[in-house]
Amino acid sequence: MAICPNGHDSASDDFCDVCGMRIATSPGNPQAPAPSPATGIPATGITGTGLPGTGAFSTGAMPAGAMPVGGPPAGQGAPGAPAESCPRCGTARTGQFCESCGLNFAAPPSSAPPVPAPPGPRVPPAAPAPGADARLTWTAVVAADRAYYDQIRTASGVEGEAIDFPAYYAERRFRLAGAQMRIGRRSVSRGLEPEIDLTGPPVDPGISRLHAVLIAALDGGWAVLDPGSANGTLVNGTEVRVGDQVPLHDGDRINLGAWTAITVHRG
Amino acid sequence: MTQSGFTVDVDQNQYLPEGGRDVSAIVTVTSSADAAGVHSAAAGTPASAEIIIIDCSGSMEYPHTKIAEARAATAAAIDVVRDGVWFSVIAGTNTAWPVFPPDGSMAIADVSSRAAARQAVTGLRASGGTAIGQWLSLARQIFGAYPAQLRHAILLTDGKNQHETPDQLQAALRECEGVFSCDCRGVGTDWEVGELRTISAALLGTVDIVPDPSGLAADFAAMMRSAMGKQVADVALRVWTPQHATLRFVKQVAPTVDDLTARRTPSGPQAGDYPTGAWGPGESRDYHVGVEVNPAGVGLEMLAARISLVAGPPSAAELLGQGLVRAIWTDDEALSTKINPLVAHYTGQAELADAIQEGLEARKQGNEEVATAKLGRAVALARESGNEDTAKLLAKVVDVVDAETGTVRLKKKVEDVDEMALDTRSTKTVRVKKAQS
Repeated sequence: MAICPNGHDSASDDFCDVCGMRIATSPGNPQAPAPSPATGIPATGITGTGLPGTGAFSTGAMPAGAMPVGGPPAGQGAPGAPAESCPRCGTARTGQFCESCGLNFAAPPSSAPPVPAPPGPRVPPAAPAPGADARLTWTAVVAADRAYYDQIRTASGVEGEAIDFPAYYAERRFRLAGAQMRIGRRSVSRGLEPEIDLTGPPVDPGISRLHAVLIAALDGGWAVLDPGSANGTLVNGTEVRVGDQVPLHDGDRINLGAWTAITVHRG
Repeated sequence: MTQSGFTVDVDQNQYLPEGGRDVSAIVTVTSSADAAGVHSAAAGTPASAEIIIIDCSGSMEYPHTKIAEARAATAAAIDVVRDGVWFSVIAGTNTAWPVFPPDGSMAIADVSSRAAARQAVTGLRASGGTAIGQWLSLARQIFGAYPAQLRHAILLTDGKNQHETPDQLQAALRECEGVFSCDCRGVGTDWEVGELRTISAALLGTVDIVPDPSGLAADFAAMMRSAMGKQVADVALRVWTPQHATLRFVKQVAPTVDDLTARRTPSGPQAGDYPTGAWGPGESRDYHVGVEVNPAGVGLEMLAARISLVAGPPSAAELLGQGLVRAIWTDDEALSTKINPLVAHYTGQAELADAIQEGLEARKQGNEEVATAKLGRAVALARESGNEDTAKLLAKVVDVVDAETGTVRLKKKVEDVDEMALDTRSTKTVRVKKAQS
């Protein structure tokens, strides 16, 4: 029997049977993912190195989710979970969220212990190292733009009718880097991997495979160029002439496709 | 390969942005090519039972070749039934009756029983109506008397279910679910695609159109061969999800799109089983699982779903394999914004099936604008994903101006058979090569 970071008893020793949290194997570092010696399950994705399955049953070669079945059950003691109580209301803790007041025990995330750094970890950096590049960083924020959608729909009539505004669109952010950032949709057949990949779902059918390119200027700024997309590109509502480089300013809004807006931010 | 003969692989982007909730994964289940009947029954008892259900309604006489080809196809299928397998043949009109054995039992296949069955089939004549629910109910009764592990039926019809209400068919289907699987074939163009799809989906089988009766015999023999190859019965995906998580959907996405979300049977705390039917050696199918989880802090990892492949009755299910769907929260956008190519591909294939079905429906209703937009979208999706079979079928219904952008014009005149073939096969998907990393 293992005990998960949220204090649940779990028969499985890799992930909690109740809440699914990864169960620690090192008492000193209760939330750090680590390879489990008992089952040979690699902590895939964090450590990046997979141990060969030692169980009697290996379910396949894909590291992302395959795991041995029928491996020996957890033999090693899990860390004894301290009887924690909610700092806000004092109720005994049974999960990630307080059953009484709903406080998230995991918050703030900064209190989470750092992930160890064996070979090849993709530990997310908190911020770009200050001083390494004094230049301001630019970010492109992609969102679904209702006003633009309505405007396009009115203008284009028939064709616009059948494209629905997405019910849900998770905002995406891209840090601008390098000499250029292509905006488009990934195409396996054409070997096209735009840096700003707007492949859905939900997919905006009005976006071309290679729709536009953001080009880094010498002064550290960025400009947008439409190399000849099928449906055109707008900057702050004005159509970009094919082939023109339009310099961008903090807060500028690029519209493309049927409902996509990309806002650029400096700093 | 493993003891159980099955592998379960999971493909996903496990990284979520801070506060992210949606986890999507493609689960690939493969049975090994040499999985020798691990679940064959005790010696002396046939492990399989087969019933062939033939439409003998009056319309099978028009053209006259239809009933003749149906008889020939049934005989061809009978020839493929392996020695020692229980089998029988049913005829259906507005009622149903056993053709062979005539007493409503099942015969054990050998040289003489197969010959007798072929002889009985030559006597089939077409007259009467169509009440498919009754045919299925009779098959269920016959199957029920024999303890075979693998029960499979082939259903052939050429018409709509006219002589019973949709409710009667639904009620019959509910009783048959889990008892046997059924592959459905529609011959000609007077049957209803949606109706047969409902039956084949509920009974975990395939559905297809046989436009020309002369193609029946080869198709029947192939279906029967595939059924004879099945060795593991009643395999289910058992999906565990964490507390406070919502399982949004479980869909088969290859070889065809088939939504299993509503087919959940609870099987333990926070777990449910989704039926996948019977498996033959060397089979591989993909499933798309969507889970909504409660976000945890950046740097934390949790299990979003544990997918177990189980066989046998729920009380004594045997574990055949397992895969894990994970969620790791990160503030590295390069990780969290990456879309897994398999997830993207199958999301597109499911959208393709929907676009075709909605486009054809709109066309039927006379809504040309929507039909053009939907079928155009389908053309673009088929092109993008390399689904050439579907692209060819689409090209018989629309004139493609530009496949890349999905610019199409509706054809003025479309053959019924082309429209039905497109509708029936809209759920067929293509697979992509797995990502190397």
